[in-house]
Amino acid sequence: MRRAINPQHTQAFFVRGPSPFARLVLFAALSLTLMATDSRLHYLTEIRQGLIALLHPLQILANAPFNAYKATGEYLSTHNTLLKENTELKQQALFQSAELQRLKSLENENANLRNLLGAAQASKQPAKLGEILHMGRDPFVHRIVVNLGAHHDIVAGQAVIDGTGVIGQVTRVYPFSSEVTLITDKDLAIPVQIERNALRAIAFGHGRDTSIDLPYLPANVDIRQGDKLVTSGIDGIYPTGLTVAEVVSVSSNANSPFAHIVCKPVAGIENHRQVLLLGLQQPEAASGVAANAAATTKETAPAKASPPPKPKTPAKPNASH
Amino acid sequence: MPVIKLHSIYLSLLFALVLQILPWSGLGLMLRPDFVLLTLIYWLLRAPQLCNIGTAWFIGILIDIATGGLFGQNALAFAFSAFFAVIYQRRLALFNIWQQAAYVFALLVLTQATLWVLKLFAGGESPGWGFFLPCVSGILLWQTVIFSRIGIDGQSGKN
Repeated sequence: MRRAINPQHTQAFFVRGPSPFARLVLFAALSLTLMATDSRLHYLTEIRQGLIALLHPLQILANAPFNAYKATGEYLSTHNTLLKENTELKQQALFQSAELQRLKSLENENANLRNLLGAAQASKQPAKLGEILHMGRDPFVHRIVVNLGAHHDIVAGQAVIDGTGVIGQVTRVYPFSSEVTLITDKDLAIPVQIERNALRAIAFGHGRDTSIDLPYLPANVDIRQGDKLVTSGIDGIYPTGLTVAEVVSVSSNANSPFAHIVCKPVAGIENHRQVLLLGLQQPEAASGVAANAAATTKETAPAKASPPPKPKTPAKPNASH
Repeated sequence: MPVIKLHSIYLSLLFALVLQILPWSGLGLMLRPDFVLLTLIYWLLRAPQLCNIGTAWFIGILIDIATGGLFGQNALAFAFSAFFAVIYQRRLALFNIWQQAAYVFALLVLTQATLWVLKLFAGGESPGWGFFLPCVSGILLWQTVIFSRIGIDGQSGKN
């Protein structure tokens, strides 16, 4: 008979320390305590940050071959592709400069109007360019890890966008990296507005596949296929007017008073490497944006000292329609 | 039979951890075998006096830190599997390759099932049957390594 494993026998045959069952009970109790502390009391954030700093060299080691592969790939990209990309980018820049000029005049006009109205200036949020290190280790949780952390003044609660729209929100900050919960995660909610008719709603991630739900809207709600969802900005976290998703299907069921609305996120959640991390708005700037947003902002602004807020923070009841 | 050194156990577990935290994505992430658990089970069956439930628990904590999940969930699941690996360890040494593989597969499934239950308790959605794919890929990797007789123990193909 072939055996796969030859156990190494102990010198002392019967002496094996505490019985396996005693060990199991001890360690199970330990981990249950840890889990309860972590999920309910949030005491472990600092310990976790310290330990992940210990694992950081390991992470760098694991990412090294892929970074090297990427670097050589970029080095070897041919002359032709570079030329093509260059002309495309030039055209794009031309288009965008035209639009930028229009934007400038609009901004001026907007500032004047705001001055006339006596409203506070909506603050421009500082943004930082981050790179996605890797997807979350758990394929069933919609998270990504980016290369900016507490050392780069990132705090939990910051909004994360790419060139096309909202990607998610920073939920956990480590010294050299931070974890971003994607908008498709079940735990993340975003206050949105339908671009066409300014109807306010709250979008929830679906969790299973990469889609977004608009629950709790009546069956006769004025939402059509192809409508664009943009951030409403009343939470004080996401600036107003960022594209979030596009409505894919609207259906109503006779059994339910609510419409079943499925949306697809616009941002390239699965396929980008660079993302922008927006700074949190200053409370005094945000107070003028919308009267009922101030309360939400104040809760999220001092997030540096307190444990990271739950991703559900933006979904305050007063932000709903 | 060469005496197993403690540092070779820790080095192999560390190597498995690096494999585990490579930037997997997409299908690779779904199919990724649990390298750390496989290494752990190997040592649990082979040298239980050096690598026991405590080792399993600590390496589980390391994985929890690396994945950023709920603190202690992998530790609990690993401790569970380690318990079942250790109590049948002496009997298992008398099994042949296929019986051992079946038992290892059961241990892998047990770990994933524990994680599943913890996930449900923590309020997550049920992840579907794809959650158990790493068990299948894991046992395939286990059998490949066993059959290829890679000389982890420095005496390949002799027993």
